Amino acid sequence: MGSSAAFLRIKGLRKSYDGVDALRGIDLDLEMGDFLSLFGPNGAGKTTLIRIMATLLKPGAGTVRVMDFDMEEHPEEFRARLGVISHQSFLYNDLSARENLEFYAALYRVADPAARAEELLGLVGLSDRADSKVSGFSRGMQQRLSIARALINDPVLLLLDEPYTGLDQSASMLLSGHLRRLHDRKRTIVMVTHDLKRGLEAATKVGILSRGRLVYLKDRAELDPREFEHAYLRYLKGLPDA
Amino acid sequence: MRDALLIARKDLLAEYRKKESIVSMVFFGFLLLVMLNIAVGVGRELDGEMAAGILWVSIIFSAVLGLGRVLSKEKENRCIDALLLSPVEPEQIYAAKTMVNFIFMAVAEAVLIPAFFVLYGDRFARQVPMLVVVVLLVNIGFSTVGTLFSAITAGTRRNEVLLPLLLFPVITPLMALAVKVTGGLFEDLPYREYSSWLYVIAAFGLIFSGVGYLLFEFVIKEG
Repeated sequence: MGSSAAFLRIKGLRKSYDGVDALRGIDLDLEMGDFLSLFGPNGAGKTTLIRIMATLLKPGAGTVRVMDFDMEEHPEEFRARLGVISHQSFLYNDLSARENLEFYAALYRVADPAARAEELLGLVGLSDRADSKVSGFSRGMQQRLSIARALINDPVLLLLDEPYTGLDQSASMLLSGHLRRLHDRKRTIVMVTHDLKRGLEAATKVGILSRGRLVYLKDRAELDPREFEHAYLRYLKGLPDA
Repeated sequence: MRDALLIARKDLLAEYRKKESIVSMVFFGFLLLVMLNIAVGVGRELDGEMAAGILWVSIIFSAVLGLGRVLSKEKENRCIDALLLSPVEPEQIYAAKTMVNFIFMAVAEAVLIPAFFVLYGDRFARQVPMLVVVVLLVNIGFSTVGTLFSAITAGTRRNEVLLPLLLFPVITPLMALAVKVTGGLFEDLPYREYSSWLYVIAAFGLIFSGVGYLLFEFVIKEG
């Protein structure tokens, strides 16, 4: 860590809620094209970290920079390069799949919102349901559309907060496929998940967040999955570092 | 302004599909007009200010119904997060929601005011063009304040209770001014008799649109 050309650089990130520390000094550098899977027990601060990185929460202290854009100094430029997928769909139930995508494409000033929406509907296999209202979609279909929504601005940094929650096997496989393709296209991805198998198979870096600290960070290639699983279980049980 | 228009268009399209807010606003406002008509005595001659009071109570109470919905809709599936994640400035979201609230109110009034004339007598329909001006100015004041307060309460569990509790004390001066001016119109008073109150209503809208524009970002975002 610590390269001067880091694509994403987080320094001294802290956040507390009513005096309770959610993040206690996170430092993290990622290169372009890295895929970080971040694990941790409930309440470890994973979602807080993602929400700060997404500019939805202000940090108590510290900085987040992407491609040398400071999140707080240039929030609009920062957000224009960002995509977020969460277990919440961010979709309007009363609009059709196409209308949702065209709306978001227009917000991101995509040159041809209709064409972009059509392209992404095809990518996530929803072309035949393009004009159906989102309220009639299954959870899996909503998540596919949610992926399309997150890609509307062709983001260079993708943040995922428990994206597999509530997905069935086929929808999970589809999401994994999309993430693989995005990673092949050198997109930088940070994923918070409890799903060890899916988190490990996709990642180039793996981390564990516990009690607001990044207590474990390794390249996936150097990692022994059994040793990692052991370490993760210790943190899940709230045991001290092995 | 482009982003505000985009968001407002999306909200109006969703409302056009479901007609959830407008129908409930009109129905509730009409019920209030009928109940107040019974309460004061059907067919009884009312003076201008009393009639204006009845009209504005019905309009404001019905408008509060729509107000809560406009931002709470964005909380479904956390769509508000997606708006805040986009490059759109929070002020544009405020402008959009204020526009939508203004339009909802205006549509409801287009039904409620004629209904009021039917129930309370067309002798109050003397200065209709000026009444439209007053109504539009009050709508601006109400929707600028209301949008800000609905953003404050949208994240709370009991927002439908909290919103009127917080909002009504702030809009009471606006309501009092609206009754005063509308009463003057119903009595067919000359413009100079109520014009100064009209300027205060306009100032109310202007001040709160500035306040809302400046504060919305801090209200809508988590700390």
